[in-house]
Amino acid sequence: MGVLTEVYEMLNTCNKCGGCHTACKTYKLTGQETMVARGRIQLIKAVADGKLEPNQEYEDAIMSCLLCGECAVACANGVRGNELVMAARRDLKLRKGIKPFAKSFALKTLASPKRLGMGFSLFGGMGKSVLNKIDGMDYFRGIDIRNFPTAKKPFLEQVPERITVQHPKHKVGFYVGCFLNYSLDQTAHSVVKVLTKNDCDVIIPKDQVCCGLPQYAYGDFETAKKNARKTIDTFLDKYKDAEVVLSACASCASMLKHDYLKLFADEPSYLPKVELFCEKVVEFSEYMAKIGVDQSQLHNSSPVRVTYHDPCHMIRGLKVTKQPRQLLQMIPRVEYKEMFEAGRCCGAAGLIQAFYHEVSTNITDQKVENIKDTNADLVATSCPACMLRLQGGINKAGQKQKVMHVADLMANAYKD
Amino acid sequence: MLSQTVVNRLKEIVGEKNVVTDKVGLLTYGYDGTLLSGEALGVVSPHTTEEVVEIVKLMNEHNIKLVPRGAGTNESGGTIPTQDSVVISFTKMTKIHEIDTENFVAVVEPGVINFDLQVELEKRNCYFPPDPSSYKASTIGGNVGECSGGPKCFKYGVTRDYILGLEVVLPNGKVIQTGGRNFQSEPAYDLTRIIVGAEGTLGLVTKVFVRIIPLPRAKKTMLAIYDKVEDASQTVADIVAAGIIPTTLELMDNLLINTTEDFSHAGLPRDAGAVLIIEVDGYPEDMDPQVKTISEICNKIAKEFKIAQSAAEVDQIWTSRRCAFGSVARVRPSYGVNDITVPRSNFPKAIQGVLKVAKEYGVTIGVVAHAGDGNLHPLVLFDQRNKEEVETVHAAEKALCMMALDLDGTVSGEHGIGLVKKKYLDSEFTPAAMGAFRKIKRSFDPSNRFNPGKVFEL
Ligand SMILES: Cc1cc2nc3c(=O)[nH]c(=O)nc-3n(C[C@H](O)[C@H](O)[C@H](O)COP(=O)(O)OP(=O)(O)OC[C@H]3O[C@@H](n4cnc5c(N)ncnc54)[C@H](O)[C@@H]3O)c2cc1C
Ligand code: SF4
Ligand code: SF4
Repeated sequence: MGVLTEVYEMLNTCNKCGGCHTACKTYKLTGQETMVARGRIQLIKAVADGKLEPNQEYEDAIMSCLLCGECAVACANGVRGNELVMAARRDLKLRKGIKPFAKSFALKTLASPKRLGMGFSLFGGMGKSVLNKIDGMDYFRGIDIRNFPTAKKPFLEQVPERITVQHPKHKVGFYVGCFLNYSLDQTAHSVVKVLTKNDCDVIIPKDQVCCGLPQYAYGDFETAKKNARKTIDTFLDKYKDAEVVLSACASCASMLKHDYLKLFADEPSYLPKVELFCEKVVEFSEYMAKIGVDQSQLHNSSPVRVTYHDPCHMIRGLKVTKQPRQLLQMIPRVEYKEMFEAGRCCGAAGLIQAFYHEVSTNITDQKVENIKDTNADLVATSCPACMLRLQGGINKAGQKQKVMHVADLMANAYKD
Repeated sequence: MLSQTVVNRLKEIVGEKNVVTDKVGLLTYGYDGTLLSGEALGVVSPHTTEEVVEIVKLMNEHNIKLVPRGAGTNESGGTIPTQDSVVISFTKMTKIHEIDTENFVAVVEPGVINFDLQVELEKRNCYFPPDPSSYKASTIGGNVGECSGGPKCFKYGVTRDYILGLEVVLPNGKVIQTGGRNFQSEPAYDLTRIIVGAEGTLGLVTKVFVRIIPLPRAKKTMLAIYDKVEDASQTVADIVAAGIIPTTLELMDNLLINTTEDFSHAGLPRDAGAVLIIEVDGYPEDMDPQVKTISEICNKIAKEFKIAQSAAEVDQIWTSRRCAFGSVARVRPSYGVNDITVPRSNFPKAIQGVLKVAKEYGVTIGVVAHAGDGNLHPLVLFDQRNKEEVETVHAAEKALCMMALDLDGTVSGEHGIGLVKKKYLDSEFTPAAMGAFRKIKRSFDPSNRFNPGKVFEL
């Protein structure tokens, strides 16, 4: 009960005005009151009041939330639905352990680096070969598995721990994150390239682990804390000389920057260190815009039309929206075109895509329509999970656009 | 509990996924915008008129009552399942059948969200004037059910004035169409107007013919800032007396200025006693003279008068106004929305009345008002968990209603009676009028199956 008691005043502040109805994608698509912030909050409150015993339907309502935070932006009462859902997930975990799907699939795997590598290659490699034998089964619950990329070798094993430039002006600690390490290693290389082209020494600690967000999002604070502590200690003790901790994954960055503070709120002795760490965390585009990019070095011979998708953790988590657009428009011959509802969730939303795939597929389809309307050749974004989700949706719709990280577009614009 | 036979049949009619009988699902259809709640026997979400008819017939066979529901944002308990009843939710009937800009008619299903319709209309340079502040969530069916008003109603009128016709499933399972797409098409009794505002007690609306109008060519949004709420109310009376009809004349007092400012950061002065949001629309050449007259009237009493300079500024002002109800929980967790309405000329007196009630009963009241319509929403703030306070609030709300009636007003301008205002109806209408209401209800719904116990006891 403790967890829900802590958020009870916020639960009670929801006055059921329905202001979150249009904000909440899961409601827009289902028209079901269990699938909107208002409904979820009233259910959580009923559990807190002891009027409802959590059951399967309750878990579905709580687990199907995208944690996109759009309800919080829409709520004039200042109720943050996503945070209340997080509290409810934590409460569920404390009551009865984590839901089976989350336990077996992602959370355990992500918690340990060894299993993690296996998980990614299983998903992208073996999974693919099995699927190849089943005709027509290209999409597992809306996820484009056949095209799910896996790095031949984890990025961390491909690069030295320290990369130095001739005239260093900055020293950047690079927090790579699972997706860039195991799946989109090319993007990780892009990040390093852009940094070094802009006079940054790059430190890439080999022993970095998952940031803990997947576990945190499903209420497993213990494992999340373990990973967080390891991350913080690694960067602050072993690699003290890193001026900043940079992440090119909006989700990781938002976890490192904001959620670590919440995670350790109950450990006052460790908290100052956490605060120190959080202050150092910076997202890729945010950092590049801050140190300034030398535009004269950027080249691009063929005109290209680009649009940008704001990941939830970027626009509502980190609140960074201008910088990626600025960077894109610095590249010569880029014609930038804003899409309709650029800031709305793409449907990936962690494990939602796998376990509430009907909702998530519809959300992605809408996003893909919005992309199509821009006539863009390229879709840029700042989160690898969004990249994979969007590319999958685009391929499924038979469209041609390529999805890239802002860092990829920039890296391509440097002559070697 | 619904019998398995009924549940199975409902699932046959609307599909497995559109029938809810589990505790979690029922809980989320048990509330609305008020503090009340109840639990239905089941929730069923039809997609077509035919499905609605089948549901009504099935319910009749088993003598089960039906509570129609749109988005459940009403402020009167109108969708609370009280007696053993099934909620019929219209959120899956969301088709816009037709938008006819030549004849200024749109034909929509009841579950279409007001905002979604506005977006489609705007693409065609038209709009639907009734715009309750809840327009981003509330459905056209719900707007019809409550005969909702909104900030534009001073000049343009309320929902009733924009409904040309309805398709309705009656309690006996028969489908009728009232009115139609013609602007004058009620040769017999005007059933449309009886059903609009009937709060789902007479029939289930399955199709709505709405009147749309072209977007105004120009508009100007102004903000007048006052030291005292009484001063603002004087401006309202002065503008009306000068024979000007702005599109909008909205008032917010100091409490609302502050709670909305926490959310919208529109830059309203937090120390002001009240603000008036004034908007005029029409042809571009009409703007300046109207603005001039209004500014002269305001400047007599207002401490400041501003004209919004950019679309962004206008948006911010409107965000503040629209989120008003939704923002007061920042102060206290529970609120009672009152909906008293008085003749426009009595508006200043009503404001004084509200201040007096707040003082006499020692309760916190924030005021937001569609001032041009004489429609006030005194929001009485409290904490539902404090039983003593709840009693005081009830007494204060009663005093507000009686004050309105004394000023030749009504207890409900636009939110409907539902369950919340039922107790005041006898004070507003004579026994003969109440009798007439009951007769109308009985002739439509002799077994009292549609939204029973709402508006009045049969
Ligand atoms: C923040 C906030 C601001 C608001 N601002 C305004 C405002 O400015 N002006 C205003 O007038 N109201 C306002 N309201 C009240 C409310 O939003 C309106 O009454 C709205 O029209 C209700 O729409 P709904 O879809 O939520 O309907 P519901 O609440 O679901 O239902 C309303 C009534 O209509 C009946 N009904 C619904 N659908 C049908 C149907 N298909 N057939 C027959 N009966 C049906 C229901 O039984 C019920 O009696 C506000 C509410 C909130 C929470
Ligand atoms: S979460 Fe906020 S916007 Fe949604 S119903 Fe509650 S108070 Fe209204
Ligand atoms: S976080 Fe997103 S999906 Fe979850 S309730 Fe809020 S708006 Fe809906």
